[in-house]
Amino acid sequence: MASKKLRRTGVSADLCERLKRHQVETCQDVLSVTPVELMRLAGLSYPAVLELLRLVSKACSPTVRTALDLWRKKGELCFSTSLPVLDRLLQGGLPRGALTEVTGPSGCGKTQFCIMLSVLATLPKSMGGLDSGVIYIDTESAFSAERLIEMAQARFPEFFSVKERLLEMASRVHLFRELTCQDVLNRLERLEEDIIACRVGLLILDSVASVVRKEFDTSLPGNLMHRSNLLGQEAAVLKYLSQEFCIPVVLTNQITTHVGEKVHCPQRNQADVSTEEDSGFVTAALGNTWSHCVNTRLIVQYEDTERRQIIIAKSPVAPFAVLSYTVQREGIRLEGNENPESSLIHGTDPGLQPIRVRTGFIHNLSQATPSSC
Amino acid sequence: MHRTVPSLPLAPSVKVKLINAGFQVASDLIDMRPLQLCKEAGISQEEAVEVLQMLRDDAQPHQQRAATESVTALDLLHQEQSLGSIVTFCSGLDNVLGGGVPVGKTTEICGAPGVGKTQLCMQLAVDVQIPVCFGGLGGKALYIDTEGSFLVQRVADMAKAAVQHCTLLAEDTEQKQALEELTVEKILSNLFLVRCHDYVELLAEVYLLPDFLSEHPEVRLIVIDSIAFPFRHDFEDLSQRTRLLNGLAQQLIQLATQHSLAVVLTNQMTTRVSNGQSKLVPALGESWGHAATQRLILHWEGLRRLASLYKSPSQMEATIQYQITVQGFRDATDEPRHASPSENYSKRPRMEDLS
Repeated sequence: MASKKLRRTGVSADLCERLKRHQVETCQDVLSVTPVELMRLAGLSYPAVLELLRLVSKACSPTVRTALDLWRKKGELCFSTSLPVLDRLLQGGLPRGALTEVTGPSGCGKTQFCIMLSVLATLPKSMGGLDSGVIYIDTESAFSAERLIEMAQARFPEFFSVKERLLEMASRVHLFRELTCQDVLNRLERLEEDIIACRVGLLILDSVASVVRKEFDTSLPGNLMHRSNLLGQEAAVLKYLSQEFCIPVVLTNQITTHVGEKVHCPQRNQADVSTEEDSGFVTAALGNTWSHCVNTRLIVQYEDTERRQIIIAKSPVAPFAVLSYTVQREGIRLEGNENPESSLIHGTDPGLQPIRVRTGFIHNLSQATPSSC
Repeated sequence: MHRTVPSLPLAPSVKVKLINAGFQVASDLIDMRPLQLCKEAGISQEEAVEVLQMLRDDAQPHQQRAATESVTALDLLHQEQSLGSIVTFCSGLDNVLGGGVPVGKTTEICGAPGVGKTQLCMQLAVDVQIPVCFGGLGGKALYIDTEGSFLVQRVADMAKAAVQHCTLLAEDTEQKQALEELTVEKILSNLFLVRCHDYVELLAEVYLLPDFLSEHPEVRLIVIDSIAFPFRHDFEDLSQRTRLLNGLAQQLIQLATQHSLAVVLTNQMTTRVSNGQSKLVPALGESWGHAATQRLILHWEGLRRLASLYKSPSQMEATIQYQITVQGFRDATDEPRHASPSENYSKRPRMEDLS
């Protein structure tokens, strides 16, 4: 609404002309100057300027609702992840209309989680899905269509036993490959049409960090600010899309080493104490500003060779919690206790939460299994 | 009387014509008639009438205004006590703030991500609605959300906890009656919500607030969560950003005093690199630090959450620990707080009537 042209707001025609001569054409231009400056540009007295500001504000201000209106639409507030304990902690699932970030070391399961969510979004509402399309913006070329099919068949074998349903599911996932920051931003700014045309109910950006870290070397002066600005713009566009279309937006992030004192985390077991380093620790990438931008942050990390953990590190509704999982053919499978109470932990600043990475390479010689067709 | 013509709030073209016609000071114009002014200065008849009306409004109540404009400190004391404050249900924080978030002032809450700024704002939006007989303000709230962190399920949980808390306290019939009307739905319906996507929508909303407040005079709290996000990435020209933020701060403090409401703003933290060391400071720059009346900084210390009062005209700097529970923003100790109904949430002793 900020770019609304003045002549459509009810401002008189000759005033519009006068302002146009000073490059003031949209609501944004009018509100970006101070009232005294506007007096000079428009040639109006102070009370008349205030009246003009009120008129312009009415044209571009958002509507006022009450919290009760939102509460009445309770069933449409969340997207279930099909992991029961996680859903219960998040009070229904991933929030629609907000940004959820999944961050962690490579190979931990972030892309697997995203592919699983893509399958779930295409399911009919009776099965907990959104019955909608999915837009998957892939910057690392990590998306695999075969894995999508395999996961769908393994997770919902009876439903996807019918081949048409598999094909229909696959046709609802729309993949965009973008390789630079500017490409990603351009794509996001033009995404409204695609969202409407494909009837999209879930937007995934995998990953935010890879393009940004390729192009911005933060040791150079000024780059940190540029990077923060770009991330802020991306976040603003994503929040706008998620809010207007009431869809969940899932982003993935990477890890970085933070130089400084580590925060004591009681959920680590004793075996790790010997490998603790005081000079730095691993945490989510993209810095403090980005930690403010995301509404929910889920951290995935390694527990041991087989199992991994999801930590709810930042959420407006959920307490700090850690859940164990493994990656199987059907996607993410939660292990351990079904009771949410037993997973609560003490947490800290989500931008400084230490993340455990895979140390050492332990392998078992496994039997080769033929891939199913 | 001694105002010069260029300083009058008139259109620039009119001012230029008046000056060219030889009018230097407001007193030159005051006795003129519209037609005479019109011919001498070469301005239109409507403009002449506008000029004279403006001068008349300016001059006439001048004598009376001078007498009523100054308020004695005694009157101010009575006013401040009658305004009250909004409790946070965290007694440590209420003590530090001198009773709660004060009405008639702007309070800024800065903090690192995930520390609880949105939780505190949602708690205040529920607490402002506590009926007067329980020590609250019985008012409504306006929540301006620029980040998308407002989730109604959480507010409903906090509202339920607040209603339960009041149920435990209810003793006399007036309180029991008020309690019957205090339901979770009522609390949610008195919480107005606006979602602004960029700084233009935020500025537009603030320009329209006087109209909104005259339609809804029971609003006692305005929350802007957060004021930092829309201003942090769209601006090439930082001096323009500072001008707009200052204008915004002025409008908000004016609303707070004129309409007797509390304005709460949340701010983010930014990394400042100096001498090779980086530390977190409140965002939006140094000049923004002067904008709010009170500044509260929430921060992490290891696994603990601390709140520090950083700037206040009437309270001492102090730091307390708090926690976020399923019921909302609470003290860091584990035992539940049962206050007696007669306890006044304001900790400042009431002054006897001294007049």
